[in-house]
Amino acid sequence: MDALIVIFITGLVGLFVGMMKKPVLTLSITITGLVTAFILTLYARSYESIFSKYNGLSTSPLTDAFSLLVIGLTILIVLGGFNYFKKDKEHTSDYYGLMLFSLCGALIMIAFNNFFMFFLGLEIMSIPIYVLVGIKKSNVLSSEASIKYFFTGSFATGVLLFGIALVYGATGTFDLLTINSMRGIAEPSPMFHIGVLFILAAFLFKVGSVPFHFWSPDVYQGSPDAIMSYMSTVVKVSALCAFVTLFSNVFMDSKHVYLIILEVFIAISFIFGYVSALKQSNLKRMLAYSGISNTGLAMLTILNGDFGSLWFFLLSYTAATICIMTLSQAMDKIDSEDISNWKGIGYKNPIIGVVIIISFLSLSGIPPLTGFFGKFLILSNSFQNHLWLVIIGLISSVIGAFLYLRFIVLSMAKDSNAEKICLSPLHFVIIGLSTIVLLFGWSILLF
Amino acid sequence: MNPAVNNIGSSLDFFVVVAIALFSIGTYGVLTRKNMIVLLMCIELMLNSVNLLLVTFSKYYGANDPQIFVFFIVVVAAAEATVGLSILIMAYRSNKSIDIELFNKLKD
Repeated sequence: MDALIVIFITGLVGLFVGMMKKPVLTLSITITGLVTAFILTLYARSYESIFSKYNGLSTSPLTDAFSLLVIGLTILIVLGGFNYFKKDKEHTSDYYGLMLFSLCGALIMIAFNNFFMFFLGLEIMSIPIYVLVGIKKSNVLSSEASIKYFFTGSFATGVLLFGIALVYGATGTFDLLTINSMRGIAEPSPMFHIGVLFILAAFLFKVGSVPFHFWSPDVYQGSPDAIMSYMSTVVKVSALCAFVTLFSNVFMDSKHVYLIILEVFIAISFIFGYVSALKQSNLKRMLAYSGISNTGLAMLTILNGDFGSLWFFLLSYTAATICIMTLSQAMDKIDSEDISNWKGIGYKNPIIGVVIIISFLSLSGIPPLTGFFGKFLILSNSFQNHLWLVIIGLISSVIGAFLYLRFIVLSMAKDSNAEKICLSPLHFVIIGLSTIVLLFGWSILLF
Repeated sequence: MNPAVNNIGSSLDFFVVVAIALFSIGTYGVLTRKNMIVLLMCIELMLNSVNLLLVTFSKYYGANDPQIFVFFIVVVAAAEATVGLSILIMAYRSNKSIDIELFNKLKD
């Protein structure tokens, strides 16, 4: 957990350095801190951490893998958003500071060991994002998105806390290991089941799944590109990780209560997301709706506690999202939010065309790209116990493939009026990195 | 359930019922009211009902950790209110109103 401390201190230092109004300096401090945290997490098994005695957070190779994913994603987002952030010289460090504090919460959400840390992690992650969504102060849409996210988010917090209080009332402990050890010994009281259902509702909200998905398209559309990619990657990864931790293990006792609810919502998420995405003309709304379907797929891993394939699927999904959102940020001359403006972009700029094709094919799950293996692992592991969900998942994948292929066809159309786009070196590096992940990410499976 | 110290007796039910009532009032308010300041108050009410519930269980089990949890909730609620009020002021500046139904520009 040294990475957590490093990121927190970097955020603080960055805020103070921000007073000098030098965006490049702030960026280099932020990146240095994040890379240090990345390396510390990478070698976390090979040295004695100063916080090894603390029992609120527990690390394992699994949590390290998820931490590496979120820290890596934040590095890419911080770099990719720089061209946008530096326009507002006064507040560049605010963006980075808030993003780093939110990342601290995300790291806590991945490694928590009791409900104290879980609740704190969730709030530390969410509160900076309420601010970040509304950071374009003069923009009406941005403040509306912020209002919507804030009220629905804090309502979900209330519901979650009520659930935690009821679970405490039934078990007498906040510690996940103790609740785990009580499993199967005595029949849990109805209070426990009700508490679990409350927590389930709050989680469905946080990951943006049906039936509490309504906020995500609006909030994504209203927020700046970089913040939108932060929400759809880092927040989703950590919330899903906490979701699987709690529900595939700790709350097994009430599985008969929540299993059918979860299955039905996963099935509806599959279909609903892609079908609603079909009629969108805004890129961010389209990504938000298709994100609902992808979240449903990731939630399949809750049913069998399959962290490995969850990690791999999220790797492919987030890499593709980063790729698309970075391209969208690179197109600063035209309004990249409107899908019709992407017509002919890939034809006019061959490199961008290849990147668009790779990322959307990976999202739709075409072999041999990484996205295929992510989907394949999750679906094949659920094949035995949840056959009907797998079939619905495959049907929804076909709809999704149609959606993504339509976008590829649009962007590759012959259109001589299309904008010529020159990628800045920063964007080029990010797009290159995520394309490499999309092309060769499957090689991780060989180890 | 085997309470270590149970000097709260049969009135436990009473506290739990009050907490649930407060929570329901808060939820109802969030779902029906239109003024954003009232919405904030209703969310605070929900959080405070949780506080009451936790303190009740703390007394019931004779344990201290729920009380510490209550402190965390109070701190987080304060942080949330701060952020919420500043977002509210920003929204008021752009819309000249704090009626939540007027924020309907983002839609399909």
